[in-house]
Amino acid sequence: MMRIFFERTGGFAGMRFAATIEVDKLPEADAHTLRNLVDEADFFDLPEKVLKYAVPDEFLYTITIETDKKRHTLHTSDSAATDDLRALLDELSRRARAQRR
Amino acid sequence: MHNHHPIYCILPPHVLKKIAENGTAGQRDRALHTMNISEQLRGRRNAMSQMVAFAVLAAGEEQKTRTVYDARFGSSLPGTVARKEGDPPVDDVTVNEAYDGSGVTYDLYSDIYGRNSIDGNGMKLDSTVHYQKGFDNAFWNGSQMVYGDGDEDLPVAERLFNRFTIAIDVIGHELTHGVTQYEANLAYFGQSGALNESWSDVFGSLVKQYNLKQAARDADWIIGQGLITANVNGIGLRSMKAPGTAYDDPLLGKDPQPAHMKDYVNTVNDNGGVHINSGIPNRAFYVTALEIGGFAWNKAGLIWYKALTEKLISGSNFQEAADLTFATAGELYGVGSLEQNAVKTGWAEVGITVDGGTSTNPGCLARVMKMFGLAG
Repeated sequence: MMRIFFERTGGFAGMRFAATIEVDKLPEADAHTLRNLVDEADFFDLPEKVLKYAVPDEFLYTITIETDKKRHTLHTSDSAATDDLRALLDELSRRARAQRR
Repeated sequence: MHNHHPIYCILPPHVLKKIAENGTAGQRDRALHTMNISEQLRGRRNAMSQMVAFAVLAAGEEQKTRTVYDARFGSSLPGTVARKEGDPPVDDVTVNEAYDGSGVTYDLYSDIYGRNSIDGNGMKLDSTVHYQKGFDNAFWNGSQMVYGDGDEDLPVAERLFNRFTIAIDVIGHELTHGVTQYEANLAYFGQSGALNESWSDVFGSLVKQYNLKQAARDADWIIGQGLITANVNGIGLRSMKAPGTAYDDPLLGKDPQPAHMKDYVNTVNDNGGVHINSGIPNRAFYVTALEIGGFAWNKAGLIWYKALTEKLISGSNFQEAADLTFATAGELYGVGSLEQNAVKTGWAEVGITVDGGTSTNPGCLARVMKMFGLAG
């Protein structure tokens, strides 16, 4: 089981934008991609905050991922995210954006 | 003009610059002549254009140096040059908007407040457009502006955001983050962060009003008018006149901005609600500008500019912003003047009572004295 809570705040517009992604309900290929990105980012081993100095108007993210065994919440931003985390954020943003319709 | 340019390698550039700026006409000619010789030594072809630029600087005029880059929907900054200072308009409207908008912003700061660019020292104005795909945002990264194209990758019927350069106040907003960084450097969290945001909205709106030559009473006081598409029920992203009323939409939700301290939003999101609680100081400025009348950039704008550059500090809160703008108005226009009373009314309207006790000496000494109970 894997469930992802995605929340984006900040940005010029200052609008909150959130989505819940049920990874198990996605087509197998998509679920596979997402699980890989979570692994590659070492998501469950990352600290709770991956943040640097504040950049005016940039997006801020809160990502919570839960599985049968684990649950972890992470706060990060566009400028502070590592490349691996960036790839996960991009995929989650894309999915969340598709779900808003 | 930049010090690292090879043209200045023979004579120290700061010496040449000083001579050209402060010297007599004869000294200036000699400085320019020296430049000409150094050019001949290097055999450069564009000596004349450099000379002209230098002569303009020497005559006391400030320099506007804009470059617009194209990220071509990728994430690399700054991207490839799309238009630089003095170039004619290009086919890409987004590039031209970034160029023109940063130009009007430069002009407002230069013409009205006597400020030479973001850092007050002729800093280059760099902008990158077409940043990433489907990027619903614009930001200041500490050294340049960055603009997304909104929902350009979605079908028209599904788009919520247009390109971020479409609203000139967005451009003024981003550049003002740069000015704030070089001045009060308001910490981007909580109340000081909301002030940082508010000052960006204030001067963003003033850039728009200055461009349209609009009086305070004729302006729309909307931030991001034209930025949200016809698919959204709203007129923009924020209303300085009536915070909380800019949009109310099934997909985007309702504009969350408070217009009064009693509705201040405590949240950990958005760096402590910096884009939310900015509605409070935004409205204080709007009321002040309306009370004073005329063009808002002249008096209300000058008070806010002086407070940012001379009084506010990194940790300032709303109350201090109220006290310091009030003090500034007193210094500029007189204690008890119409302008100073307008500032008082502006803050009162949002539930903040200015402390007149700091109006004559709001500096560091006053703070220390107050701490030790010595201030009157």
